[in-house]
Amino acid sequence: MKLSGVKYLTDQGIENIWKNKMMAFATFCVLLISLMLVGASVLFYINIDSIIGGISDKNEIAVFVNENTSDERIVAIEQELSAIKGVSSVTFDSKEEAFKRMMESMPDYQKIFESLGEDNPLPDGFRVKVNDIERAVDISAEIRLMPDIYYVGVSQEFVSILMELRHIVTLIAVVIIVVLTTVSMIMISNTTKASIFSRREEIQIMKYVGATNAFIRTPFFVEGMITGFLSGTGAFMITWLTYDSLYGILTEKVGVMNVIGLGNILPFDTIRFYVLGAYLLTGAFVGALGSVLFTRKHINV
Amino acid sequence: MVELKNVSVTYSSGVDALNNVSLKINDGDFAFVVGSSGAGKSTMIKLLLKEIDATSGVVTVNGYNLNKLKKRKIPEFRRTLGFVFQDFRLIPSMTVYENIAFVLRVIDAPKKYIRKRVPYVISLVGLQAKSNSYPDELSGGEKQRVAIARALVNDPKLIIADEPTGNIDPELSYEIVELLKGINDCGTTILMVTHEHDLVRHFGGRIINITSGEIVFDEVIGGVNEA
Ligand SMILES: Nc1ncnc2c1ncn2[C@@H]1O[C@H](COP(=O)(O)OP(=O)(O)OP(=O)(O)O)[C@@H](O)[C@H]1O
Ligand SMILES: [Mg+2]
Repeated sequence: MKLSGVKYLTDQGIENIWKNKMMAFATFCVLLISLMLVGASVLFYINIDSIIGGISDKNEIAVFVNENTSDERIVAIEQELSAIKGVSSVTFDSKEEAFKRMMESMPDYQKIFESLGEDNPLPDGFRVKVNDIERAVDISAEIRLMPDIYYVGVSQEFVSILMELRHIVTLIAVVIIVVLTTVSMIMISNTTKASIFSRREEIQIMKYVGATNAFIRTPFFVEGMITGFLSGTGAFMITWLTYDSLYGILTEKVGVMNVIGLGNILPFDTIRFYVLGAYLLTGAFVGALGSVLFTRKHINV
Repeated sequence: MVELKNVSVTYSSGVDALNNVSLKINDGDFAFVVGSSGAGKSTMIKLLLKEIDATSGVVTVNGYNLNKLKKRKIPEFRRTLGFVFQDFRLIPSMTVYENIAFVLRVIDAPKKYIRKRVPYVISLVGLQAKSNSYPDELSGGEKQRVAIARALVNDPKLIIADEPTGNIDPELSYEIVELLKGINDCGTTILMVTHEHDLVRHFGGRIINITSGEIVFDEVIGGVNEA
């Protein structure tokens, strides 16, 4: 196929969209919503994974002692912690250090921290490294029973709630993907049908003058692909805006999560290109696939 | 060359449209196909375009055995022929020029060739002045001349015309047949279905009469104004 031929077929595809503006727009919207919902589930999943991952990455349990615990008692607690079976190392984590870390992890809130001055709200604590993350939950339960312990970061309930949440999100995502793919396909099918109808004279003449099937189908393929591509772009923009504003709200909690040994919510910058790529590819793929399947069905060449 | 050997066509509705028809049209021939309505003329044309398949018998067109022609070879086969229909079948959203150029684009002809060939065939049918008009702006006779130019543009060996004069004024019909005759003189085989007996009598030549799905007459007669 010559370059002029490719250009001709692409132009025809764009013309198809223009001829069926309303249908193309409806398909665009459905695809956009589908992509966004699927994207949202995937992003949610990834973030939960990142948060849970924070625990196992560090193999660490954050332990805080009660306020006003004497220095002697703190030394004693350190020894008791080291003695627990499965604990590999115990590091003292002064409240000053913890406060500094928290400040660094939330640069946007520098002012607020500074205004606190000497009133450091954080307690002293330890970072307890365990040999085996599987045992972390048992060990934290054991630590919690010790006197003068204010808080043990990893709580079994919290991790299992996250795990459960991840499980539910996966299920919902699967259902969403199945339902929305079906709806998208139906929309694309109808749009393609309308396109074919508006071109039926040309298609018939094309058949008579010896156009190959590929030639007849290509404009519809291009049409579907461009619609999908545009939907992907739209979904990306909306996701970007939504994610960033949600991230802004959640960042306040991020520092806290860090302190208790959990991972981060991913900033959008780090995943932007993956999200964009996934949206564009999926959009274009679904759009193109839908139109190819349905031209095959409706154009009986 | 067109050859039918003991060809029958039975539609799925049970209608026997063609019944054991045998026929041979040699390269360079001009043949009229006549017969009453429902006789099976269009069925024969559809057979030759491989729009339908013979229920039995062998159909050969331009060296292609249509019974054995694979689906993916149909485009290649159709590029060897041109067609003209009663209802013109022009694309309303395209100008005269585009309607004709379209055929060459479909077969991926070089741009340069398209730019030379299309004005040439437009001049053959005498429509230079209407090159940029849309079909709606043309008379019936002009539309059919566009359709003929389109049939000609890829230089086919055979042109099949199903009642090309059916929708135009009788006086203009002669003009259309003259045009087809001129094309035939340049070596293209032409098969033309018509209802107009005056036309056939006027031009003469090979006449094939189909009645109730059978060929009842196939002879060369002299035209009224044959030189
Ligand atoms: N697609 C079809 N399905 C079933 N029967 C058909 C079909 N097309 C044509 N027929 C029948 O086959 C017979 C021959 O039809 P055909 O169209 O070949 O006639 P024709 O000679 O072209 O007539 P006309 O001069 O009116 O165009 C008719 O009885 C017609 O009703
Ligand atoms: Mg007919």
